Amino acid sequence: MIAFDYRAPRSLDETLAILQEYGDEARVIAGGTALVTMMRQRLAQPACVVSVRGVAGLGRIEATNGSIRIGALVTHREAECSPLIQERLPVLAETFRRVGTIRIRHMATVGGALAHADPNQDPPVTLMALDAGVEVQRAGGGRELPVAEFFRDYYESALEPGELVTAVTVPLLPAATGASYVKFLPRTADDYATVAVAATVTLEPDGEHCREARIALGSVATTPLRERAAEALLSGARLGERLLKAAGSAAKTAVDPLDDHRGSAAYKREMTAVMVERALTQAWAEARRAARASG
Amino acid sequence: MAHRIVGQRFGRLDGADKVTGAARYSADVTLPGMVWGKALRSPLPHARIVRVDASRARALPGVLAVLTAADVPDLLVGRRMFDMPLLARDRVRFVGEKVAVVAALDPDVAEEALAFIEVEYDELPAVFDPADAIQPGAPLVHENPGAYHGAPAERPHANVQSVLRFKLGDVDAGFREADRVFEHTFRTQLAHHGYIEPHAGVIALDEDERVQVWASNKMPYRLKELLSHALELPPARIRVNLTPIGGDFGGKGSLMDLPLAYHLARVTRRPVKMVMRYTEELMAGNPRHPSVVTMRTGVTKDGRIVARRATALYNSGAYAAFKPAPSVNLGGTSMGAGVYRIPHLLLEGFCVYTNTIPCGHARSPGEPQMLFAEESHMDMIAKELGLDPVELRRRNLLRDGDALANGHHLEHVRATETLDAALAASDWAKPKPRGVGRGVAMGHRHIGVGFTNAQVRLETKGTVTLTIGLPDTGTGAHLVLRQVVAEVLGLSIDEVQIELATTDLFETDSGVGGSRVTHTGGRAAFHAAEKLKEQIHAEATKLGTPDASFATIAQAAAREGRTLEAVHFYDAKSHAAVTSFTAQVAEVAVDPATGQVTVLRFTTAHDVGTIINPLGHQGQIEGGLIQGLGFALMEELQTAEGRISTLSLGDFKLPTIRDIPPLTTVIVEDAVGPGPFRAKAIGEGSISPVAPAIANAVADACGVRIVDLPITAEKVYFALQDRKGRS
Amino acid sequence: MIRLTVNGQAHELDVPSYRTLLDCLRYDLGLTGSKEGCGVGVCGACTVLLDGKMISSCIALAVFADGREVTTVEGLAEDERLHPVQQAFMDAGGFQCGICTPGQVVAAKALLDAIPHPSEAEIKEWMLGNLCRCTGYYKIVESIQAAAGQARA
Ligand SMILES: Cc1cc2nc3c(=O)[nH]c(=O)nc-3n(C[C@H](O)[C@H](O)[C@H](O)COP(=O)(O)OP(=O)(O)OC[C@H]3O[C@@H](n4cnc5c(N)ncnc54)[C@H](O)[C@@H]3O)c2cc1C
Ligand code: FES
Ligand code: FES
Repeated sequence: MIAFDYRAPRSLDETLAILQEYGDEARVIAGGTALVTMMRQRLAQPACVVSVRGVAGLGRIEATNGSIRIGALVTHREAECSPLIQERLPVLAETFRRVGTIRIRHMATVGGALAHADPNQDPPVTLMALDAGVEVQRAGGGRELPVAEFFRDYYESALEPGELVTAVTVPLLPAATGASYVKFLPRTADDYATVAVAATVTLEPDGEHCREARIALGSVATTPLRERAAEALLSGARLGERLLKAAGSAAKTAVDPLDDHRGSAAYKREMTAVMVERALTQAWAEARRAARASG
Repeated sequence: MAHRIVGQRFGRLDGADKVTGAARYSADVTLPGMVWGKALRSPLPHARIVRVDASRARALPGVLAVLTAADVPDLLVGRRMFDMPLLARDRVRFVGEKVAVVAALDPDVAEEALAFIEVEYDELPAVFDPADAIQPGAPLVHENPGAYHGAPAERPHANVQSVLRFKLGDVDAGFREADRVFEHTFRTQLAHHGYIEPHAGVIALDEDERVQVWASNKMPYRLKELLSHALELPPARIRVNLTPIGGDFGGKGSLMDLPLAYHLARVTRRPVKMVMRYTEELMAGNPRHPSVVTMRTGVTKDGRIVARRATALYNSGAYAAFKPAPSVNLGGTSMGAGVYRIPHLLLEGFCVYTNTIPCGHARSPGEPQMLFAEESHMDMIAKELGLDPVELRRRNLLRDGDALANGHHLEHVRATETLDAALAASDWAKPKPRGVGRGVAMGHRHIGVGFTNAQVRLETKGTVTLTIGLPDTGTGAHLVLRQVVAEVLGLSIDEVQIELATTDLFETDSGVGGSRVTHTGGRAAFHAAEKLKEQIHAEATKLGTPDASFATIAQAAAREGRTLEAVHFYDAKSHAAVTSFTAQVAEVAVDPATGQVTVLRFTTAHDVGTIINPLGHQGQIEGGLIQGLGFALMEELQTAEGRISTLSLGDFKLPTIRDIPPLTTVIVEDAVGPGPFRAKAIGEGSISPVAPAIANAVADACGVRIVDLPITAEKVYFALQDRKGRS
Repeated sequence: MIRLTVNGQAHELDVPSYRTLLDCLRYDLGLTGSKEGCGVGVCGACTVLLDGKMISSCIALAVFADGREVTTVEGLAEDERLHPVQQAFMDAGGFQCGICTPGQVVAAKALLDAIPHPSEAEIKEWMLGNLCRCTGYYKIVESIQAAAGQARA
């Protein structure tokens, strides 16, 4: 690695001021798992690295009305082990649990998982299916955008120079809803997904028809994807094995994966169908359980 | 024979330094004034070097030296065949070949400086596939390899490094006797050893201008010889200091960066450390050869093999320098005969030059490649003949007096017993659910040969110090040697210490590798201890107190200015007439929707000699087996146009703790080995049959035959789709 | 200037911004017990505890650990007495070459601190990121189970 300025501001304002000053010369460092690796491989050579670890107020997990707000500095391990998340959004805790290894989860942060914008990561997929929103701050202002609009390209997010992710807000599941996360790992137990799918299914009061389904996919394109065509097949329909299979087939035509060490594009396409079907099957089962529990 | 110490399950008494972090591996050696060396590597598979300009790098603060080919002697190095320059001169032959080397005050500065070295290349036509490389008119990787030191004479094509051939009977006549002939072709992948310690070395010139070496190298004496040639210095000017080695598996026997570290040390007048990054290991280590193996077998109607011809094309990469065998080839080629009596046999292995990473030896060199082909082929033949695969094997297994492919006749053959043991322990005959399959595979491995010195010394406190020149690669051999000495001398294990000699002490030693250490080191220690025992007896008799304690005896001698010590040089030139059989059964489930293979359980049976340390013995079986599992299912250095794309351990995947199947080990003990107390060898027995056992189980589970490793979910999935499409 | 407490001892160090925590431990402090294998966070040879939590020191900057507590393999044994995990790795053969072992024992110690009597599945989940090429892992699982048994006794 080459030498860089290292700054460790204590407050949000100070951080935003530094980010504004350095513009695209600066890189935020949170857990550092991605950034340090890229710097060691010379894929990133920032002039200034701004550590946000000491910034107060970015590490909280809190229930707000109808949602859970997770600060950008919350680590994957904290999210996974948070009683609040485990109880209210078990699928999200489970998703964080599927990330790499505990060592990585101790370091990697929720903000980093978003800002890094690697389409092979797990949390963005589930956050997308849960319709989460990303809170972004810059000197003199802020904005919130849906996760579905946050990713632009391979390793490219909607963040502008000077902007910082401060939190992600995840709405709780509506009644009679089940959610699932399926990470397909055909090689070893520690790997990025060959294909990942997060799904939610909300049932109508009759318990048979689907009111709404959401499907998000990872590792199958240059960004995580929301698969709306497959969702449309399900909403309003009476659920059954055949339909879930059809949704899987629909998803398969929407994806545009790359050949890599985790599988060829052709294989990932085929597995998209299989994993969408599996994720929906699980989410549906969860939804029925939720409906029974409340009804 | 009942033993006191031999056969006891000692814990790793030799490892206190390893669990506390005190053990100093080569990369941990730090000397005053030490600086760091880093290498610049070629980005192209084959190119002429037009110009190298290091002036900007030389001018960087913290950079002490930059060397290019012009600054180092124009000589070639290798382990057996010397065909590799110290730094690429005029021409690069693979992606990752070293072109320049930098010494700097800090490793990061050294790495940064590499980016400031300008190299202009003129790309040349390249060849990547061994089958292409041996066509007439193929681009030549080397113009005249026959002229290299150590080059074998036979060379059917300038891109052939070496040919290894095993012959029994008359193979053409044999095929004429056959009722049916089967031929299949198999492929195995390029795979790194996966040791966690990348190659590391420190070189320092001491006050006497001697070259002090600390290196992750398992053959210190051979290293001294090789360095003497590479550095153009007499051997007496070189001293190799032994350090523990962080995993070898056949990969830690070459010079790697040491000559460059020396030249940097010479120029900077400072000690130099060079440690490869893991990325460099994956692009330019000395991995296992990929292979294409064609097996052709003639059988009679009743399933007796009468003839076999097997041809292996090994992609050896751009240099032969990493192969240590005199044949400059892979001995595992002989495993084309499997564990069977085959009267008419012709096995040929061709090591072929291409513009890819130079390959070397890896645990059982050539055997996992050959046995994957051979044992898959056996099941495919059985299927065609409508015979049970176990039955086909039984009808052909080696028996006492049969010859191996190399012509050696065997005694104490326990092939059938080993197979039976594996079948019984694996519930082979039990019904299994749909989607679950079982596969069997067998192999055998020789007991290695070589030469080792051992010195034993009686200390005045009555303990014994064993001094050897064998570094610790992790197998627990040092503990085994202590046990041998303790057994002979009637001591407790704590009363025998081990001391590692530098290469100044002994004349020579063949080092670690090839399943030899328990045998050669064990026998050297055994005989040295026997000699010491005689001396002790003689001293006791002289003192007139036959039951005097060792301490008393040693002290009496010390008073006369003598130390009781003995040295033994043990040299085993030829293989014993025994081998060690392995039989394995894999039970797998195949997910038809994804092709994913899950190994549900694994059984491994070994025909072994006297077990000296059961804990270490079992550790060798387990470690080798999981390496075999990784080779079977996931490990692959993926390449395109000579470029490896899996350049980190995040992409080149090794098995994790969650990937290991429930394991049953069966030991078929038979005290007939050539080692001390009739021990055999175990380090390389478990790795090779794993892949064919799994491939055979996959075929049993879902009817799909995978003929190229690794057996990925993707391959199984598309093969299943193919079959569906056809039916 | 950064302040690190390593194995209970406070240090003030002047390190370049790019220094990894691993290199800082190994070269600035001479604590070579932690090893570099993969260098990218995968293998676990560089595992240390940062404020009690295991991390990969190869992908952490030294400045990142400023003001925090680091525990390395050198800090596990108390005086001459091995930590029960270290003793168990020796007794049960939980290592061969030993290059992964500092990381394994640090991770295993953290495991037993968090879950004194882990199930086999818990052991495998926790130790997932510590690769070992020598042992095939069976004896690592046994070592940790043995250490847990010892802790219970
Ligand atoms: C060995 C290994 C295995 C892994 N396996 C997986 C896996 O299986 N699944 C998975 O999902 N992930 C996995 N990861 C983690 C993942 O790839 C990222 O490394 C991680 O999520 C990044 O988080 P971080 O806090 O460490 O980010 P950093 O490395 O600190 O930063 C990453 C990027 O995000 C930017 N950034 C960070 N925080 C903010 C912020 N608050 N605002 C704006 N920009 C910010 C940085 O500038 C940088 O560009 C793995 C990582 C490693 C090293
Ligand atoms: S060296 Fe840090 S995880 Fe491998
Ligand atoms: S003991 Fe060698 S890698 Fe684990």
